[in-house]
Order: sequence, then structure tokens, then C-alpha cells
Amino acid sequence: MDTAIINKESDLYKMLNQFELGDNISECLTCGACNSRCTWFDGEGGPLPRQIIRMAALGLDEQLVNSNMLWDCLLCNRCTQGCPMGISMDKVVRKARSLAIADDKISRDIKKGIKNRIELGDVNALTKDEFVETIEWLSEEFVDEVDDPKAEIPHDIKGTKLLYLPNPRELATSLLHLTAMAKLFYAIKETWTLSCHHTDVTNWAYFAGKDDLTKKMAMMVVEPAEELGVETLVLSECGHGYHTLKYLLEDIIGRKPGFEVVSMPELVLRYAQKGVLKFDPGVHPYKIAYHDPCNIGRKSGGYDAPRQLLSMICEGLVELTPNREDGICCGGGGGMLQDSTTTVKRMITGKPKANQMKATGLSHLAAPCLSCHRQLGELSDHYKLGIKVDTVAFLASEALIL
Amino acid sequence: MEKTTPNILIIGGGVAGIAAAQLFSDQDVIVHLVEKKPTLGGHAAMWACMATDTCQNCGACLSIEMAAQVQKQKNIILHLNTLIQTIHKETHGYTVGFENNETFCVEKIILATGFSPFNPSQINSLHYDAYKNVITSADLNTILRNETLSEYFKGKSNPKIAFIQCVGSRNREQGRDYCSQVCCKISMRHANKLIHLYPESDITLFYMDLQIIGKEIRPLFNTLSQNIDLIQGVPAEILENTETNMLTIVAEDKETQSRVSKAFDLIVLSVGMQPAQSLEAPNGMPAGILDLKPNSWGFFNTDQAALAKDVVIAGCANGPKDILSSIQEGRVAAAKVIEDLGLTPKDQLPIAVLGQGAQADKIINAFSSKGYATYLFGSGTGQTNDRKIISISGTAGNFSLYYESENEKKNLTCAAIVAAFEPEPSLNRLGSLKNDSLSLDAFSQMLEEAPDTCPKDNIILLDYFGPEIKSFARLALETAIKAKALGKNISIIMNKMLVHGALGQRLYDTARRQGVNFFRFETREDLQFEDSGTGFLIKLKEATLPSIELNLNCDGLILPPSLTPAKGFKDAAALLRQPLDKEGFLQSANIRHRLTQSPRKGIFFAGTCHDETDKDDLNNEINDILSALSTESFELPQTKIGVDTGVEINQKKCAQCLTCIRVCPHSAIVMNEKNRPQIVPDACFSCHLCVSNCPAYAIESKTFTNDQIAQKIEKDKMVILACERSAALAAGSLTLPDHITLIPIPCACRISSDIILKALLNGASKVMISGCHEENCRSMEGSHIAEASMKQVLNIPEMDASKVVWEPIAANESKKFEHIISKG
Repeated sequence: MDTAIINKESDLYKMLNQFELGDNISECLTCGACNSRCTWFDGEGGPLPRQIIRMAALGLDEQLVNSNMLWDCLLCNRCTQGCPMGISMDKVVRKARSLAIADDKISRDIKKGIKNRIELGDVNALTKDEFVETIEWLSEEFVDEVDDPKAEIPHDIKGTKLLYLPNPRELATSLLHLTAMAKLFYAIKETWTLSCHHTDVTNWAYFAGKDDLTKKMAMMVVEPAEELGVETLVLSECGHGYHTLKYLLEDIIGRKPGFEVVSMPELVLRYAQKGVLKFDPGVHPYKIAYHDPCNIGRKSGGYDAPRQLLSMICEGLVELTPNREDGICCGGGGGMLQDSTTTVKRMITGKPKANQMKATGLSHLAAPCLSCHRQLGELSDHYKLGIKVDTVAFLASEALIL
Repeated sequence: MEKTTPNILIIGGGVAGIAAAQLFSDQDVIVHLVEKKPTLGGHAAMWACMATDTCQNCGACLSIEMAAQVQKQKNIILHLNTLIQTIHKETHGYTVGFENNETFCVEKIILATGFSPFNPSQINSLHYDAYKNVITSADLNTILRNETLSEYFKGKSNPKIAFIQCVGSRNREQGRDYCSQVCCKISMRHANKLIHLYPESDITLFYMDLQIIGKEIRPLFNTLSQNIDLIQGVPAEILENTETNMLTIVAEDKETQSRVSKAFDLIVLSVGMQPAQSLEAPNGMPAGILDLKPNSWGFFNTDQAALAKDVVIAGCANGPKDILSSIQEGRVAAAKVIEDLGLTPKDQLPIAVLGQGAQADKIINAFSSKGYATYLFGSGTGQTNDRKIISISGTAGNFSLYYESENEKKNLTCAAIVAAFEPEPSLNRLGSLKNDSLSLDAFSQMLEEAPDTCPKDNIILLDYFGPEIKSFARLALETAIKAKALGKNISIIMNKMLVHGALGQRLYDTARRQGVNFFRFETREDLQFEDSGTGFLIKLKEATLPSIELNLNCDGLILPPSLTPAKGFKDAAALLRQPLDKEGFLQSANIRHRLTQSPRKGIFFAGTCHDETDKDDLNNEINDILSALSTESFELPQTKIGVDTGVEINQKKCAQCLTCIRVCPHSAIVMNEKNRPQIVPDACFSCHLCVSNCPAYAIESKTFTNDQIAQKIEKDKMVILACERSAALAAGSLTLPDHITLIPIPCACRISSDIILKALLNGASKVMISGCHEENCRSMEGSHIAEASMKQVLNIPEMDASKVVWEPIAANESKKFEHIISKG
């Protein structure tokens, strides 16, 4: 058994006990509610959330950093939803991961991604030239896609109303998804653009708890958008992107941005409600289950827009049980999906989700997050669920009546 | 000026309101008791009986009895099904208007609006609305009362049942950062009852800090902890396994160091108390009408809250509390009104206080300030005396204390006696250590007087020498906060924190916020102590971090004392002719006399000699005793002609064997000046035990003679001899079938084998004797006597055992009564 001496002068203790209005970690009641709400369960090991809090509250920084729990945490914040003392696990885990002594524990992939983003502007090290080339090629294809010679996928145009911030996967493995989004913009009929300056909706520094880099990455989005003078920044479907660039943005950058931020499903819903976009739900003549990405739902309160949109574009939406604030993480959160060494582990962390998906008895599921989308698809294959997983905006694009 | 009879308004017909109303029974006032429901008794009257083989001292059945009594009280105007529409402040008192436009004036108002149980529908993850087998403790009471529990178990005899504590309590995020104080007791009693009903059941109780407080609860916990699983940590989510239809909870498993999913048939949410809904509404009733200012929780139990003039508050409206404490508060509130109206008798009754120390001092001072002549037997903190009691004789209002002082034997006549002895203050120390630990009191005093000399790093160790006492837990918190403010480092090692109520939770929250460390241990084996220089090293296997051994260093190791019954308690009990409780403290746990009274009228208990009481409890107890003294008859000498007790000693038949004096549970039979036994009406509880026991049949009852009872027995009918305080009340609302004759008797101890035999000889098809559960008889022995008489009859050769039965039935067990008689 490890022995330890408590340390109220520890870096983590100091960081987590500075709130005048409470919610300090030293206030933990040790009620144990968090232990019952973590979804890593059923004898598979995984974190005991209360132990994380207790280690942090007693200044046992080294023990916490050396514990797998800190790195296994999915940052889904389900455990501390309803914490009687208002403690947020997301905050505790990220602060602990940010400790200097934790630096060599951060996964190599995450580190590499952060480095790419900061130094090269894109998590996958896509250069500006490569970006432009990809977009221009896609734009040419797009003419055929919508059968309109004037149609295009624009980039780096100043003064447009909308600016789309894609997910890096849309520029690599999921080009079709980007085309699908372009189709929606085409139908919305507002001026829009992409920008070679900020090709990336992600913020991997958030997973590592690096507040300074999280801010830097956010500014890499905010400044070029302000430069272009857009009215609205449209986020690709991405959970932590939504959380950092919409829900937390003012906190992170310390000011209001010069534009409005919406997610793609929110934008599409808005134009559907205005009557600009029309859908044929018959394109998806079946019921589709809906997955709440933790970062969008529980952590940012974005429960309703994707649901409303989804119910317009298929035979009907089916809720997973439980859902909304009690929704279960896909199993890929907290940076796990971004770490290529976790392929096996993610099938364990995702088992509760897989069980939930199976219980619907359906063959289709939608999630408004490309990370969840990938993890859920892998779960479907691994557990032989036979469930096709799509993003909400992609399904909307499929059902679009042009 | 012509004197008019004052009118009083009591809002709320729960136990607090009824108790207040009852205190006015001999006063020249008119009491308006307003209740929005059609029946009296409030929540307590909806509660199930918790008795197993013995009474579990919850007090719920009292509400039925009190409601029945108050309906007969002459100076009460009952307004049931009534809502108050307006209350206008007048220069003198208030004008009250009902919804039906009736108005009247009152001088004083007692607010006893009670509480509402927390509704767990607000917490989605518990799925209270969705899953039938997720119920609240209030639901469980209804289910137990209606005897419908089996419907939840699908025929299983070994159901798995979970209790989850603190649902709706101790939650700052939800604005209820107080401990509801009663829920742990309720769940422990519930679990105990379920084991009684389903001996093979598998029960798990999930708790945050189990509040094991009070003389009734400690022994219950000791038994219960052998029979159920206790897990620290309250699950916040319940799911249903769709394949097995079992409810599942995820909980930490200490052995495997992981979380495991546990399956249950039934989950009981132990819901907290919130202010009655009527008080919560912004302009609701009656807080809005009365211009009362409740605190942020909606209660009146902190300084933030303010009451209007001429309004006194009682019961759960004032903050969560149990049934007995609500009754006590009702009485105290009424006494305050009586005093404010100037109706308190001005007689300077002499009162003897037996005991020593600060508590005895406090009682003496409180009584003296109210005009009582007080006599201390023992030593207070300020004064000492050598008075040693040799014997106590007499009855309330006329006790005679024979004692020795300054080598002389003396006599004192007094109206009442308050026992306030100090328990044995045994200082704890850790035997294996060379360095000296500090006592909690001493450390607290040192902080006050010479903080510079206090050690820098300190640890207070609770629960190590036995379950902690709540006042020491409270003192530990106060001391830790003080120490922290003086720049000391301080930690508390505990098994649980006895927050017990709103203020304790507030202190605990403050201490954590200020950086006091709290550590939990499960068993003593989790702790090892070593000397380390002049200080200590404690190696702790902390309950929430079982994989790490914590090394805690301190200069000061602070231990609270343990409270054990003092050696003198046995002698004191013998002197007072009162039994000790299960743990050897004074006063039996019988709720009929709790919290301060005894079966011997005029003998009271206060302070730690009879229960774990803190400062507030002691104040309440003093006020409770004062309320009894000011409203019941304690005149000296006996001027008032006592109430008709219905029993009389026929001196011609009396053989002076003194059996009656020996058996009287109320010590109400004394030797008179002619050296003959005499019943003192004012001290007699009319239980008729003397009648049943007199070998010469010399003690005669006016209405319950053997012959009178026998006359009521009809051939071929089942006769039920039912105690007026329990079974007869349970039967009260039922229409009995023709083949049953119910004969109310004052107490089951009226039963003797004679009566049973007479009934059978008169042709009764069956004799059922029914009274209180054991340990709940107001006259202490009723259930024993009835059962013993039944066995005596059954021992007669060829007696048909099915013809004579004994069934304990509490006043709140109507369904059980119905069930039993339906079986014939």
C-alpha cells in the first residue's frame, strides 16, 4: 500500500480552493453520489470519482497523477451532475492534468496534436496550401453534386454572413461530410465561407487542462473570424468544440467575441424554422435514436436544437434511457478518442453506451458530434449492434429538398 | 374591568398543534384549533407502527391517542377542513377570517404548520415517477399501514431492499443544506421492521453520515448493524435492468476497489423534510398573512427568521424534528402563551434537583428565575453541599425527601423532583502512547484562554472509543473552526459526522470551507498511533481512499471523553423507583413518558443522565418541565380533589399485604397516617393493575370489575378486551361484525386469568386480549401481564389454545386489527 502525507500547500489544492462563492473542493461532503453516477462500471475497473476528489482535496497530487483514474476519466461530468456542493469533476481532472508533474503522462498523440495546432495551425498539420487545394477540389465536385454550375465551396471571403469552422476529419477522412454541410449552406442561401486561417474546431489543450493553450487555440479561431468580419461563426458538429467555443468562450478569452456562435444543427434548425430549408423525412423512413454528446448536452445545455432538427428529418426520434443530463458518454470523451493507444479500452468505456444503443432495438442512431459519431460507429461494429451512426446535420443534408 | 376569557389560535392539527392544545386543558382560555385536513394528527397519524416484538419508540401512535383526547377537550373549538383566509393585526391580538367568512379575535397564535416530505420527482436520475418499486419513506409508511408490502416482492420471501438516505437533505445546490435529522432514525426503524416481517430479506442501507443519536437508536443500531449491510455513500441514480426487472444501483466496492452494480427489488428513498407547502408559497398561507419571515430554507430555526408579535412557533414549522420533539415544542409553545397571558400560577412550589455540575446549575437557575423554590441535592459548579438522600416517599406535589446533611437527618417536602445527575466523564487516552493527548474540553478552553500555548498541528479523534455523542461532535466542529481562525492546523478523524439538524450541518460546511480536514475510518483497525518526538504519527487507512495509507502528523491529539452511566445511577434509579434504560442511563425509553417525564408523576429527567442532550435540548427539557409544572396540579399540600380514578381500596377487605404498593407502576399508592394503603388520586393513572393483583379483591373498580366485564360477554361471540390507549383506538373507526364484542379496558394490565376464564365460562367463542406493544405500555407492565395471564389460562389441561390469544396492536394499526378480526 502506498503511503502519503497530506499537503494543503499543493499546487492542485491551491487551484481548486479559490472560489469565494464556494464550490471549493475542500467542501466535498464525501457523500459518494459521484461514485454511483460514473458510467465506467460493471467490474471493468475504471475511476472511482470520489477518490479523485479526495486525493485532490487532500493535496495528494503525486498519487492522483500516478493514478490511472485521472487519465481514464472521460470528462463527461456525469458523476458530479447534481453534486450537493457544486463540485465539477471536469474542472478537477483538467486542473490535475495540467500539473507540471503530470506532463509526461499526457498521451503522445494529444501532445503532438497540440503542438501541430499551435505551431502549424492544424491538429493534423494540414498546411494552408493543402487546405486550399482540398477545398477547391471539393468545390469543383460540388457543382455536380447540386447540379448547379454556379455552386461553390467558398474560402477566405471577407464580409460573409456565415463562417464555417470544420472538424479536421472533414478535411481528411470525412470529406463527404463537408460536402454535405456545403449542400446545407447552399440551400440556406446566405453568404458563407471557410477560412484557411482556422481550419480546426477542436481544442485538444482542453483535454490536457492547459488553460493558456486552450485560450491560444480559441484565439486562433476568434481573431481570424473577426478579421473576416463575419456575423456568425458556425461550428462543425463537435462536442468539446461546442463547449469551448460556445459555452465557455467568454470565460476562456476573457471578452465577448465580435460574432455570434452557433453549431451546424442550430443553424440548420433556424433556417428550417424560417421556412428556408425544407426536408423530406421520407428519406429516412425509420426511427432514429439520439445520443447526447456530454460536452453539448450536460456540459453546455445544448439539449434541444439537435433533437428538434432530427425529428424533422426522419420518422421520429427515440430517446436513449437515460438521456439529457443523465445521458451516458460514448466512451471516447476526455481525450480518449484522440489517443490512438486506447482502441481496446474505448470498447470497455463504451460498453454502457453500447448496451443503451442495443436496448433501443433500432438500426439508426444520430449524434451531433463527429467524435461521438466515430466512437459510436466503432461500438456498433465491435458489439455487432448493426446500428448505422450518422451526425444530425449529415442526416439533415440527406433529407434536404433542393 | 370585566375579565374576558382569552382566545388562542393554533394553526395546524399535527402533533405539535395538538400537544399545544392539550396543555390548555385546565386553563381558562378558548382554543381555536385549525386544520386544513379533515382529521387531526398530521403526518404522524399517517405513519405506520414500527414495533417488532417490542415498541421501537417512534411515537407515531401517540398522535392517534392525542387526537382522540383533544376532541373531547371542553375548551377547544375544532375547525377541521378549514383554511384561513385572513389574519389582521389589531392593536390587541389578531382578527382571523376563514374562507367561509367566519371571523373571530384571538390574543395569541401558535403556528404549527408542520412540514412536507421532499418530493423526489425533482431528481430525474432516481426515477421515482417511472419505477413503481422506487418509493419514499413516506410511501413505505403507507404501505406498511395498509399491509400491502407483499405486492412489491412478487412472492419472494428474500427480497433485496435498499434504503438511500439524505434524499432532499444536505444539498446546498438544491437550497436545502440542512440535515433533516429524523430520516436516519426512520430508515433504521423501517429496516428493522422489514427484517421482522421478512426475516430472509437482504437489506442495504446507503448513508452519508448515519445519525445514530439517542437512547432508543443506539441499541437499535447495534442490533441492526448485525443484520443489514451498511454502506457509506449515497447513490444518486437508480436504473432498471430491463432483462431482470430489478432496480440497479452502482456503488463502490471496497474489496475489489471498483464500482459494482447491485440489484434490488425495492428501493426506499429516505426523503427529507421541507417546510409545509403552505409556508413556501410567496404570498401563501399563513406566513404571508402573518408577515412572518422564514429563513432561506423556509423554517424559523435560525436568526435570519423573524416571527410576528404574539406568534409562537412549534414543531416542524420551526425546523425538522421527530414526533416526540414536536410534541415537546407544542407544549413549550403553549406554556409560553399561558405565561404571556399571565395565567401561570404564582405558587412558589418547592422543587428538588438531584445532581451535580453545570446542568444541575442551569436547571436550578432556570427554575429559580420562574419563582420556584429550588433545592439542590448534589453539587453544582458554584455551590457544593453534602446533602445525601436516604429515601424518597410520597407523590407529586407531596414528595418527602429524607436526607442527611451536616451529620443530621432532615426532611424536605417538595412538589416535584428533577433528576439531573452527571454521567461518568471518563477521559479517554491511547494506552500504547507515551505522549499525552488532550481532552476536547481542555483544548477548547485552552484555545479560548491561551491560544499561543496550543499546539500548531492538531487532530481531533471522534468515534474511536465508541459511537460519538452528538454534543461532542458539535463541540469538535466549533473547536476546529475556532482553531482554524486562530491559525492552527486542525483535522478531524471520524467514523461519521453527527450533524443532526440544520445548525450542525452549517458548522460542518463552515469547517470544511475553512480548510479543516476530515478523515473517515470504518473500524478501529484502520488507525495506528505512534509517538513521534513530542507529538504523534497516525497511520490511517482512510475510508474514501482505501488504497493509500495516510501518515498524519500532529503535536496535539485531542480526544473527547466517553459518557457512560455513572456508578450512582443504579442507586438513583432505586431511590426514584424508576427503571434504568437498556444502556444503564436513567429513564426507560417508553415514549409515553419521554422526553422528560416518568410513570411516577412529578419525577422528571433532564440532561445527559437520561439521554444525549446538547445545550438546546437541555433548554427545551427545562421548558418542558416548567410547562408541566405550570399547567398540571402540583399544589402543596394537596388542596385539589383529585380526578376520579375509578379505583378504590375497600379498607374492610384489605389485608395490608402491601402488594398494591409494590406493584403500582406509578408509585401512586402510599401508606396513610393510619398505616393503611391509600391511592393518591392525583398520582394514579387508573391502570387497574392493583385491581387485578390484589389477592384479597380489596381494590375495587367502579366500571371494570370482573363481574361488570363478564356481563358484557355474550354467548358464542368473540370478545376482544382492548386497551383504551391502543387497540380500542385502532378499532375506533371500524364497524365490527356482529359476532365480535369489543370491551375497552383502561390498560391490558387489568387482565387477569380470572377475567379470561369468566369470559370462557360465559360462553365466549374466543377471547382476544389486545394492548400496546411491549415497552410502550404507559403503565409499563400491561403487555407482560396480559400475556402472562393468557399463558396461565392456556396451561389449564385440555384448554383449546386457539380460544385465548394476545395481540399487541398500536393505536395506528387499524389495518392490522381489521386483518386479525377477519381471521375470526
